[in-house]
Amino acid sequence: MSGDATRSLGRGSSPPGPVPEGVIRIYSMRFCPYSHRARLVLKAKGIRYEVININLKNKPEWYFTKHPFGQIPVLENSQGQLIYESVIACEYLDDLYPGRKLFPFDPYERARQKMLLELFCKVLEYQNITFFGGDRISMIDYLFWPWFERLDVYGLSDCVSHTPMLRLWISTMKQDPTVCALLTDKNIFLGFLHLYFQNNPCAFDFGLCAPAIR
Amino acid sequence: MSGASSKSLGKGSSPPGPVQEGLIRVYSMRFCPFAQRALMVLKAKGIRHEIININLKNKPEWFLKKNPAGLVPVLEDSKGRLISESVIICEYLDEAYPGKKLFPDDPYEKACQKMILESFSKVPPLVASFFKGKKEDHHDIREELRKELRKLEEAMTKYKKDFSVGDAVSMADYLMWPWFQWLEALELNECLAHTPKLKGWMAAMQKDPTVLSHLIDAKTYHGFFNLYLQDSPETCDYGL
Repeated sequence: MSGDATRSLGRGSSPPGPVPEGVIRIYSMRFCPYSHRARLVLKAKGIRYEVININLKNKPEWYFTKHPFGQIPVLENSQGQLIYESVIACEYLDDLYPGRKLFPFDPYERARQKMLLELFCKVLEYQNITFFGGDRISMIDYLFWPWFERLDVYGLSDCVSHTPMLRLWISTMKQDPTVCALLTDKNIFLGFLHLYFQNNPCAFDFGLCAPAIR
Repeated sequence: MSGASSKSLGKGSSPPGPVQEGLIRVYSMRFCPFAQRALMVLKAKGIRHEIININLKNKPEWFLKKNPAGLVPVLEDSKGRLISESVIICEYLDEAYPGKKLFPDDPYEKACQKMILESFSKVPPLVASFFKGKKEDHHDIREELRKELRKLEEAMTKYKKDFSVGDAVSMADYLMWPWFQWLEALELNECLAHTPKLKGWMAAMQKDPTVLSHLIDAKTYHGFFNLYLQDSPETCDYGL
């Protein structure tokens, strides 16, 4: 049985044996956002699972018997059934396993979630260009930027570790004079957050000159 | 039930009123393959519905309130709730309405249907690019299409119990069908030369009553294609 934090299997590795009864296996990679989806669902539903990490730059030959193009994530159960595509895998897990249902019960609410996912997928599709609006910075880039500036502060910059295009966009944005002019220093922002979560009204003025002594 | 063969509504038309209780409305277009998916599911499940055809070459302003993307199909219920995206609509109809379930109950079988659909996913944009594209590109597109259809046949062989369909017409079959109906009209049937199982599936589907009720012959499609390529505002009403 292996966990999330295990070395990946690459070319020349032995194929893993069958999946034991009562467990589901996920072929994954620690930094892949798509397999991360499935691991979130596995965890949220308390499903017993084992992880086999795949070396995506040096895929094991046997892995192409699990997925024709060697993609992850793939689920494998003890009957040897294979399910791929992150959204299909997540829905399968929600359908099959009892307990906490992640998709809403109401068909209309389910449809709404799927429509929202469609919109999100469209955003992901735009990762292949320099700026979201084309080859120069425009409104959409400024409208997205504030949340990405905060990623680092929130300790979330790992989110883009597997999306080189988005990382490139972030570093390109940081060269924009407007973005630079308004960039908030990470430590100041952290200071604000710290006070904010303590409900301290001084939070909003953190980092400004000290008030005159009363 | 009404509207399947009604004239489309265009710019300047009055917005339709609310949907009656007990009915569901679909905004559609007679030749749109995506809309055809929804119409087939409505028919297969015997759901009472009304159809409003939209002139996609001259869209009514009010339609953008139904779907900001301005695309069909869109579903509207008597509570004014709107659902867009053909696959989401079809899944919703299967879940919300009783009667014959088009998706299998078994989670793995259901996942298999979705994986088949994944393998089909490049076919619609290829068919569209063939239809809208230049003659010089046709050769390459045909080649691509042959490749994709071979991949689809492999996926169907792996995930489908049986190609002969019969009583077992399921969601994935309906979701793929409209493009296969276009193949003949676009003279792309020869792309199926190396996929005998797909050909057999097509023949079996053409016996299904729901498929039969939506069949459009090649000549009518040709009339539609010609008007479409000329950007005619009469495109969506061809044949009426």
